[in-house]
Amino acid sequence: MFIGAIGCEPLQLRRVNLENSRSIETYRKNGGYEALRKVLDRMSPDVVIGEVKKSALRGRGGAGFPTGMKWGFVPKDSPKPKYVVCNADESEPGTFKDRYLMERDPHMLIEGMLIAAYALGSKATYIYTRGEYRYLIEIMDRAIEEARAAGLAGDKILGTEFSCEIYTHTGAGAYICGEETALLNSLEGLRGHPRMKPPFPAVAGLYGCPTVVNNVETLTAVPDIIKMGGEAWQKLGTEKSGGTKVWSVSGHVNRPGVYELPMGYEDMEKFIMEDCGGIPNGRQLKAVIPGGSSVYIMPASDIVGKKVKMDYEGLVAAGSMVGSGGFIVMDDTVDIFESTKNLTEFYKHESCGWCTPCREGTDWLVKVFKRIARGEGRPDDAQLLLDIVDNIEGKSFCPLGDAASWPIQSAIKKFPEDFKRHLLPLTNGKESGKEGLPTI
Amino acid sequence: MPAELIKVTINGQEFETDKGARLIDVCREKGFAIPSFCYYADLALQASCRMCLVRIEKMPKLQTSCTITCTDGMIVTTESEEIEKAQRGMVEFLLANHPLDCPVCDRGGECELQEMVFDWGGLEERFTEKKNYAPEKFLSPIVANDPQRCILCKRCTRVCDEWMGEDAIEAGGRGSHTVIGTYGGWLNCSQCGNCIEVCPTGTLLDATYRHQTRPWELSRTISTCTFCSDGCQLSVGSRGGEVMRVVARDRYVNGLNGEFLCIKGRFAHPFVNHEERLRTPLIRYKKGGKLIPATWDEAIRYTAAKLRAVLDAHGGESVGVVGSPRLTNEANYALLKFAREVVGTNNYTATEAFSLVPFFENLGAPLATHKDIRHAKTILLIGGEPEELQPLTGRQIRQAVRNGGAKLVIINSVPIRLKHAASQFIQIRPGTEDAAVLALASKDDAGVAARKLNVEAGALEQVRQHLNDAQGDVIVMFGGELGAEAQSLLAQLSFTFGEKEGRRFLLHPLPLFNNSLGVHDLGLMGGALNPLEILDAAGAQLRAMYVAGSFLRTHLEGREDALSKLDFLVVQELFQTATTEHADVVFPAASFAEVDGTYTNNDGFVQRVRQSIPPIHQSKPDWMITAMLADALGTDFGFQMSSSAVFLELAKQIPAYEGLRYPLLKDESNPVQARHALVGQRDVSAQLVELRSLVEGIEETGETTTQTPPVGHELFKLGTLTSKVPQFHLLAAGNPEPESVLISPLYQITIDPALRDEAAVAGD
Ligand SMILES: Cc1cc2nc3c(=O)[nH]c(=O)nc-3n(C[C@H](O)[C@H](O)[C@H](O)COP(=O)(O)O)c2cc1C
Ligand code: SF4
Ligand code: SF4
Ligand code: FES
Repeated sequence: MFIGAIGCEPLQLRRVNLENSRSIETYRKNGGYEALRKVLDRMSPDVVIGEVKKSALRGRGGAGFPTGMKWGFVPKDSPKPKYVVCNADESEPGTFKDRYLMERDPHMLIEGMLIAAYALGSKATYIYTRGEYRYLIEIMDRAIEEARAAGLAGDKILGTEFSCEIYTHTGAGAYICGEETALLNSLEGLRGHPRMKPPFPAVAGLYGCPTVVNNVETLTAVPDIIKMGGEAWQKLGTEKSGGTKVWSVSGHVNRPGVYELPMGYEDMEKFIMEDCGGIPNGRQLKAVIPGGSSVYIMPASDIVGKKVKMDYEGLVAAGSMVGSGGFIVMDDTVDIFESTKNLTEFYKHESCGWCTPCREGTDWLVKVFKRIARGEGRPDDAQLLLDIVDNIEGKSFCPLGDAASWPIQSAIKKFPEDFKRHLLPLTNGKESGKEGLPTI
Repeated sequence: MPAELIKVTINGQEFETDKGARLIDVCREKGFAIPSFCYYADLALQASCRMCLVRIEKMPKLQTSCTITCTDGMIVTTESEEIEKAQRGMVEFLLANHPLDCPVCDRGGECELQEMVFDWGGLEERFTEKKNYAPEKFLSPIVANDPQRCILCKRCTRVCDEWMGEDAIEAGGRGSHTVIGTYGGWLNCSQCGNCIEVCPTGTLLDATYRHQTRPWELSRTISTCTFCSDGCQLSVGSRGGEVMRVVARDRYVNGLNGEFLCIKGRFAHPFVNHEERLRTPLIRYKKGGKLIPATWDEAIRYTAAKLRAVLDAHGGESVGVVGSPRLTNEANYALLKFAREVVGTNNYTATEAFSLVPFFENLGAPLATHKDIRHAKTILLIGGEPEELQPLTGRQIRQAVRNGGAKLVIINSVPIRLKHAASQFIQIRPGTEDAAVLALASKDDAGVAARKLNVEAGALEQVRQHLNDAQGDVIVMFGGELGAEAQSLLAQLSFTFGEKEGRRFLLHPLPLFNNSLGVHDLGLMGGALNPLEILDAAGAQLRAMYVAGSFLRTHLEGREDALSKLDFLVVQELFQTATTEHADVVFPAASFAEVDGTYTNNDGFVQRVRQSIPPIHQSKPDWMITAMLADALGTDFGFQMSSSAVFLELAKQIPAYEGLRYPLLKDESNPVQARHALVGQRDVSAQLVELRSLVEGIEETGETTTQTPPVGHELFKLGTLTSKVPQFHLLAAGNPEPESVLISPLYQITIDPALRDEAAVAGD
């Protein structure tokens, strides 16, 4: 598996291939905790937030919300404690970058969290991982202890007046707990379902106090932003998508792995065919889901020869999204009906059950998919799937409902043949005699 | 403070409304129907059913109107093709896994989901897949659950948490496998059944009633609950002379309690048609003999003759007359009139647990209504345990704290459950409640009071400070622990703290019975003797007694044979009790479900009791029995067999009820408060001196308990009425979890072998 940067100097992945990359010594020898020192010595919280704004860093958890702006929403005059929460739930199918960042370079996350805590006036911060990442908690806990021993966490950090604790916490295995408000519920020991927004966490989050929830990769970007300065960091990427982005590449490529690319990397086709080593076994590229399962699927025809730019704007223009950067490549052996069925089963399983459309809609969708897979597909099933999805999309309580809808919408639109094939019902080996093809 | 007015446009029409008003409420108020399931006033927002979708200009996506607050210039569309499609889509989703077997569902005919579908008509249901299945089961002896019908609006879990403070039910599982359930498989809560009430579908069901009738077969009568002094309004559903159920559902009744009721109000009604109800008048012709059925004519004639003999031999003062805080104002008024006009005696009282006479004599501030409590800013509770004894008051307190940010201060010798809602809880030595009042009424005595209470003086000072600084309504509540002097001082507390702009003191006594206030208002509690004294006088000064209802267990403790010393005892009752045991004549009385009348609740609201079924067997309303007896003794009460005539006369005689008439008390949503005389500032220095010496005499011993009393320790007590309900026996026995939750626990757990019948399986 490849772990490294293409088209830029590795920032996020600078240390991941070093020996003993987890240890505080390695981290410090390679520029670690310099940003924290700089912040504590020379920068006011407002200046820190200013640099993050200039960096055009957008949240790496999926929504791509400008991080500096989010930090700016935290009311400074609130008498309540403020919290920084690291979202390490990483449950989006096809996404595994946060895991390597934490596993191989835990101190980078700690430094990022401490800088965020300093900027936001927070004395307690939390790292929330998905249940399956329990082993990462051990790694993080060890790193936190190292940092504490080095005077980098806990009371009077680096001898300054800044004190901050970092706590770790695991979920119990629910995708929805990656959604920031569901995560906060879970962290508080409540049932993991999303909360109503507004109020947004920046105003009323953990225990009703101002809280910033950021993805691992968002936070690990912060030390470099401070060291290089926001502007310089932004220039690594594009105007609106600053810096570099870490992609989790999986599926039918010769070299899957974790890739750090500059934002705006110019050609997705080149990325797949050259950087990732192309498609194995001489197969053809069929489709890519570029940003984790919750985004629109892209057919090869939208990629090959299209010079798709790999950043927020580029992917939207190409008909999909950056999402969590879970880059799933599929060759021509893949039946998009089957892959979509698989994803839909995931969303059904992970629907928290709070709201009607997602709870009942995903259940229904899966039942239809399964029936079709049993060979009982009906000509109008594709339309039925689209209708169900239309009644979910934009009407659910949280974006999970949308996330369940988009793959289906795009799959039926872009790969109608894969669906049609399943919708011709056969009885006793003969065609049922039903007229008409699916209306797609 | 009047809210700022803003303009909103709904479906092209412009309206003025309060800034920050909830959009769904505004739309409905302006006449635009918006479907909803999860929205429920004064509960936390849920926004999960997604039925209330509207289009708001400049907002992406459809918005849930239940979560939107109005802003100036908002342009809203509530009716369009897009919206209707979305809403129909939601119902289609809700019905996807629903069994669609309304004909066998208990809620059929009054189900909000069913109505939604019927109202819209032509609903498309394209779901042809296999439905998810979950079996119907019991959550407790009272609550049954048919999870397939659930739409997960979570009204149930919210009322359990927010109204009841119990948080006993919650959703379990996730996605389409989410089911409403309990923690640990069995519901150990106060069994109020509010979850059943607010459930819009046939998911949570009244296990005492389910599958017995269809709602459209029931005659519904709006009436007042016959248990505690909160006076909840309810709808009695009866069929063929049988009370089948009691509900407070919005569609049927809209009283001060909304849809709230407690276990007793909702589930303890089976006493009405219970087989042990007295059927005919009974006469014990010979002391020590048996009670023998008799005709009304014979019983009245016999009683009149016996009373006449006692009156002739010993005079009026030899006859005691005892009313009851359980009976209507009409019944008690008739008794009082009987005592005064027929017998000529001052030896009357009512079987009340404690007297509030000193409180009312010194009443310096108005009584608080339940609405006042909900919106109060400060609540001081001394003694009492409303969550068990006046459950609606308990709910109002919780809502005031939770939704209104009220400060709750509790002074109690026991860490009662409400403690969790309190911002200050002061645990005192048992039996020292009077000292707490002394500390509040007189700063100089705070030191000695603190010592007797066994608390830090600072804690009491903090309470004084609270009350001093308070803005808005300050509600002072107290239970039955206070003595006469303490009651008097508390009634005058508003003067102790003096006038202050923006602060208003309101008082809320916590008596135990449905008509406790009524017996005080009528003056029955102002007789020459109290219940204990009247028992002590039996056989001595008193030779005969006329009792409506029965003495309380606490009255008869140590006085078990007092009543046997009488020459003649006549009792009106529903059932055989420890009091009827000594009776020479027993008249079968009609229960609250069989009579017309009024009860006065602890707000001072005079509320109607309405006949929903004809009197059981040969029973008669209490006031009618009294009038018949008076007639036989030569006095025509002139009531002409109509309770309204009794009330008319009562209203003329009792100043607080002046001008009240039944027609004015018609609308339960707009209850009428009796006009209790406010006495203004009184000189209570004598009471203060007396209280001080009382407090000084308190021994500094009593152990305090750290144990919070278990849920239901009062609610589940087996009384004359509740003991007629099998489920109460299970609850009183600790609500044991049965082996199978699919079968009614009544058939699995043997407490009374008579209850073992054929197994009733859930879903039957
Ligand atoms: C269903 C759902 C699942 C999500 N899962 C994750 C996740 O696993 N990790 C993550 O960082 N963000 C996840 N998010 C996004 C978070 O809600 C939130 O936007 C993010 O943590 C904010 O951090 P950022 O601004 O740094 O991206 C999820 C969102 C939704 C709606
Ligand atoms: S869309 Fe609704 S049911 Fe689905 S995860 Fe979000 S809140 Fe839960
Ligand atoms: S049981 Fe009833 S009230 Fe509770 S969530 Fe289900 S439908 Fe709603
Ligand atoms: S009423 Fe608004 S979402 Fe249920």
